[in-house]
Amino acid sequence: MFSIQQASALKGGSPLGAGLVQASRSLHTSSQSLAPVPPLPEKGGKVRHGLIPEEFFQLLYPKTGVTGPYMLGTGLILYMLSKEIYVINHETIAALTIGAIAVYGIKKFGPDVAAFADKLNEEKVAQFQEVKDHAMSSLVQAIENEKKEQWRVDGRSMLFDAKRNNVAMMLETNYRERLHMVTNEVKRRLDYQIALQNLHRRMELEHMVNWVEKSVISSISPQQEKESIAKCITDLKALAKTTQAKATA
Amino acid sequence: MMVNSFSQFESPVFLTIPLILLALILPWAFYPSRLHDDSSNRTLTLQNWFIGRFAKQLLASSTPKVHLWATLLVSLMLYIISLNLLGMLPYTFTPTTQLSMNMGLAVPLWLATVLVGFRNQPTLSLAHLLPEGTPTLLVPLLIIIETISLLIRPFALGVRLTANLTAGHLLIQLIATASLAFMWIMPAIATLTSILLLLLTLLEIAVAMIQAYVFVLLLSLYLQENS
Repeated sequence: MFSIQQASALKGGSPLGAGLVQASRSLHTSSQSLAPVPPLPEKGGKVRHGLIPEEFFQLLYPKTGVTGPYMLGTGLILYMLSKEIYVINHETIAALTIGAIAVYGIKKFGPDVAAFADKLNEEKVAQFQEVKDHAMSSLVQAIENEKKEQWRVDGRSMLFDAKRNNVAMMLETNYRERLHMVTNEVKRRLDYQIALQNLHRRMELEHMVNWVEKSVISSISPQQEKESIAKCITDLKALAKTTQAKATA
Repeated sequence: MMVNSFSQFESPVFLTIPLILLALILPWAFYPSRLHDDSSNRTLTLQNWFIGRFAKQLLASSTPKVHLWATLLVSLMLYIISLNLLGMLPYTFTPTTQLSMNMGLAVPLWLATVLVGFRNQPTLSLAHLLPEGTPTLLVPLLIIIETISLLIRPFALGVRLTANLTAGHLLIQLIATASLAFMWIMPAIATLTSILLLLLTLLEIAVAMIQAYVFVLLLSLYLQENS
């Protein structure tokens, strides 16, 4: 059972760190088994010639320089061959064959396969990124909507004022209309009364005139009528003479 | 010590520790757990891609009942292909050259497919013993033949895998020995033999992968037939 600090020390410290952490987790003895798994390193360690870690060359460099590890390797191989610790048999030929095939395959198809793996990773990351971007943009949109709603709420008092004004105007208009109607009605009634009075007066006048005419006509005696007619005739004759005289003059 | 050509297939024991257990467990180290599915490690990405493609291709044209066997079939395929390919390396032992192991894989799985078929739909499973449209006279004979062909399936599965791998390893050993023997006497012949060995190794790598696939494919077919 490792504590969390020891585990992180394990992870970073040595080249085997990641593997040791993974190995010690497999027993599920402590509650650390519930924690998230530390990720595997993205790229493997640097190797030279595909097999030997770069750290080995760095280890020997201070003491034996650049050719040190190669001398060591050659010496070891020759030692094992000469002492027949390693015997050359059919497996050596088979190993050479499969080594050649492996090297050829890796050299020829390696970059393509690596590019394919990178493309798969890109697609995976792009998917996650898209989800994140979509979430972010929808949240930003939500914030904008909220701000707009707040602005709308601020303007609500103006809306109420306008509505109130509208209602007041409507009430006023209605009142004035009613007032107008009332005055019209009153005027009509008064006009009627006036017309009635006028009618009365005219009828009285006409009646009076008729009565006066009748009484005058009835008062004219026949004698007076003759005399007035004769007077009229003499007047007319005199007038005629004067106009004749004017005409000839 | 090379007593005979088949001594390379003896189960390796070192100081009374059977090393075949180590050889059987070794492929487990190459496939990390599912907790690393979202890793951006190239190797892991390629592995996951391959497993996904294979599972989809194997189970695309099958019913949901067959999909219950998906884990078993895919992991079986991964196991056999890793054992075979690791056996291509020099000085390694290939457990799938042992008939005992292959029969141990083939017989229980085949028997499981047959029993599943007979338990869920016995009439249909029995009906498989008689192909459609056979003349009436041939019916008894054909049933016997089909039953024999059904019972021979586990042996065929196991022996196919064993024989292919054993033959391949044997050939590699013999031709490599010949190449080595000729190297100091007739280098030209040794070169030709080496070229032959190169081609053979290429073939063996292909066979290793194909045989694993065939094993799993046939099992899935037997399952589809019976489910």
